[in-house]
Amino acid sequence: MSLASRSRATRRPWLPLAIALGAVVLGAIFGFGMPAYVVFVSTSVLVAMVSLMGLGIVTGTAGMIALCQLSFGSIGAWILEFLYLKTPLPNVFGPLSFLLFMVIAGVITAALGLVIGLPALRLRGVNLAVITLGVAAAVDTTVQQIGFPDQSFAHIPRPFGLSSDPTGDRGYFLFAVIITVTIALGIYALQKSRIGAAWKSVAFSERGTASAGTSVRTAKLSAFALSAFVGGIAGCLIVGQITQVNYLTFTPINSLGLYVLSIVVGSQLIDMALFGGILFVVIPEILKQFRVPLEWSSVAFGILGIQALTSNSNLGTSVRAALFRRRRLMEASRADAAGDHAAVESVAEAPIPAGTGRPLLVVEHLTVEFGAVKALTDVSLVVEEGTILGLIGPNGAGKSTFVDAIGGFLPQHTGTAVLDGEPLAGLPPHRRARAGLRRTFQQDRVPPSMSVGAYLRFVTGGRADPAAISDALTFFGCPDAYTPLSVVDVGTRRLVEVAANLASRPKLLLLDEPAAGLSHDEHLAFADRLRRAPEHFGTTILIIEHDLDLVRSVCSQITVLNFGEILASGDRASVLNDPKVVSAYMGETEML
Amino acid sequence: MNIIIALAVGFSSGALYALIGVGLTLMSVLTRVINFSLVAVGVFGAYLSIRTSPLIAGASLDVQTVITVVVAVLVAALISGILGWIEATWLSEATTTARSAVTVASLLMLISLSFILFGSQPQPLRPLLIGPAFLIGDVAVTKVGVAMLVAALVVGILTWIVVNRTPLGIRLRAVSDRQTAAELLGVNVKGLQVGVWMVVGGVMGLCASIIGNTAAADATSMITLVIPGTAAALVGAFKNIPLTIVGGLVVGALQGALTAFPSTTQLRDWIPILVIVLFLLWNQRKEVWDVAR
Repeated sequence: MSLASRSRATRRPWLPLAIALGAVVLGAIFGFGMPAYVVFVSTSVLVAMVSLMGLGIVTGTAGMIALCQLSFGSIGAWILEFLYLKTPLPNVFGPLSFLLFMVIAGVITAALGLVIGLPALRLRGVNLAVITLGVAAAVDTTVQQIGFPDQSFAHIPRPFGLSSDPTGDRGYFLFAVIITVTIALGIYALQKSRIGAAWKSVAFSERGTASAGTSVRTAKLSAFALSAFVGGIAGCLIVGQITQVNYLTFTPINSLGLYVLSIVVGSQLIDMALFGGILFVVIPEILKQFRVPLEWSSVAFGILGIQALTSNSNLGTSVRAALFRRRRLMEASRADAAGDHAAVESVAEAPIPAGTGRPLLVVEHLTVEFGAVKALTDVSLVVEEGTILGLIGPNGAGKSTFVDAIGGFLPQHTGTAVLDGEPLAGLPPHRRARAGLRRTFQQDRVPPSMSVGAYLRFVTGGRADPAAISDALTFFGCPDAYTPLSVVDVGTRRLVEVAANLASRPKLLLLDEPAAGLSHDEHLAFADRLRRAPEHFGTTILIIEHDLDLVRSVCSQITVLNFGEILASGDRASVLNDPKVVSAYMGETEML
Repeated sequence: MNIIIALAVGFSSGALYALIGVGLTLMSVLTRVINFSLVAVGVFGAYLSIRTSPLIAGASLDVQTVITVVVAVLVAALISGILGWIEATWLSEATTTARSAVTVASLLMLISLSFILFGSQPQPLRPLLIGPAFLIGDVAVTKVGVAMLVAALVVGILTWIVVNRTPLGIRLRAVSDRQTAAELLGVNVKGLQVGVWMVVGGVMGLCASIIGNTAAADATSMITLVIPGTAAALVGAFKNIPLTIVGGLVVGALQGALTAFPSTTQLRDWIPILVIVLFLLWNQRKEVWDVAR
């Protein structure tokens, strides 16, 4: 991999920290240099930004609808006030109380977020929307009735003994800057981590996520809980800013506004969350100057939201896509003609891999029924370690159903499957993936919001180092690791999917029509790479494919399914010459 | 106050939730959207219609009523139709989540506009039906409540007849299941979709006129009635209209039952959530994936 093609993050790992430090310095200059009113309003911008960053995890990264971000704020604020006014703790912790209480409030809010999110576990985005809207309304009325612990007379002391006057406002602004920057750094790091990749993946496809060995439930719940945590912190920051709150500080309509704004700007991106925070605070401030009802700002957000949704884009990703195109154009003009990495080396054709003779996957009497329809009837087969087994058959023969059942997506099947001595029964898909059973999909399950490299890191679960990732990409002639998947065509995305799953070095990889969408030449190259794969990655392969040329050229063993039953099974030549196979699969007159 | 009476107390709101739930289910089945703006368009129609009263002050009371209701229905149908047009034009192939998110944005707009236009003060939105229909013990079951239940049943039955027994129903189902395929067969997809939005919007306008300010004093609180409505619709999994009606009545009854215990008034607002949560837990006891394969 050339220097230019490495991702920016690996080239400059210190960059986020430098930006964070710069932001704090800038915040200090701003906080002590600007007029008091500007500083106060800017604190509100930071609070809104924190709320938006929390929301961005759920709505932007993980693709769900959450409508109660300020309810989390109000819960966090309530807990902070409670700890300050109803417990002796402030005497114990002194000036550190605020910081400590803020963390406690965030954690409790996150726990409540889990309770809310739990029933909507399989949250199709819409269920979560229904629940969170209900929570927003219920928390609002409850808080209206019981009030906040300050009861509108006590004031909550600010952190580190900061005073509640304009001088204190300046100090508090700096405090808010530091908290905001810390949260931003944390979220940025998480988004770059495996869990962040899981969020992006789950937003695109639950099945793809589970097949990569990640629990869909954990991914969604962690996103929602973290979002609630950050929401709770934002609530505490408001308390510190105005030292006294009531239910009007956290109205449900503002939660709706934040959600819509989060979609408009793409608040999973830190800079866009800041921009969103500015919009959220400054537009009403401007309206106030002109004595226009503040609600017009929400009307504007609503219109912007509809615009963003109907065009299926947001400001942040649009800007980034434009920047990437520009960067690529510049790099392309700089690169010389010699750099064609996709060329296949013209070495001698690899032979069809021979196995070790040991059975790796043993499937016995597998039967799958969908109501009255029997998709698979009493299917038994053995995959030998180190080989490539071809599973062929006409459309509707049950090939993909077989892969679904073995992969754990059809728990209601009968029969047994044993992988390398370990029974698979009862294991959910992500556990099977971790046990060394991977699969690819006929449909595109590669999340376009990631880069090629990030996708490989996610699928391999951190087991592959950068060299191994680069090796797998080169092996299959895939685009460079820094390329966003959104600019990769569908056929190549399937190659990336295959490369990623091989790079995670599973015991067995199930490939569901991996070559669909490839040209004839690419087919040939793919076949050659596949033949080398078992030795190169230490993986046994089961491949479903319609292209008999490909099957013939890579598989030593072939199993033919027809109407859900095994028609023939055995070594390549005998199966393909079996008259039953010829007539059922190819038609009576076709010669193989 | 005993439990049966408490249930009767909750009947009126329960019937209203049932009707809202039926509207939500209808839209979910026919247009693949959870319409969070459903009640808002109705409330908008009703509240705007009372602005016509100075213009028609000379007419007789009956005429005034008729004109007000007609205006409410038309305005609601129009707003709903615009939303439907947006969905059908730009989001025809989008996911249910994306389509529903649009109605969240429009809900935000409509709530804000209702603040601007109608304020947060109670308004003289007279209900069409006043007074009790019959008594259970000392508790009056209101005419409004009965009307809402009847409306929910009528809408449910009419929908069933139209969808299952008419050529229009076949088209509606085709558009909902496979929009592009229906389009290729020459079905006027956009027209049908916008039509569904307008009809359901109009029904909500009528509903808001009938209940007037009996369920909530101001526009915004009325708009939030969509929440117990979604609880009702969830009981029917946004698919099953009879279960939705039962769900609405159950939510109302639980709320009514709680009024028997004054110390638990705060729980009242959590009833819809509770129903939603329990239902989701039940409904999702089996593993379900995002797509069939």
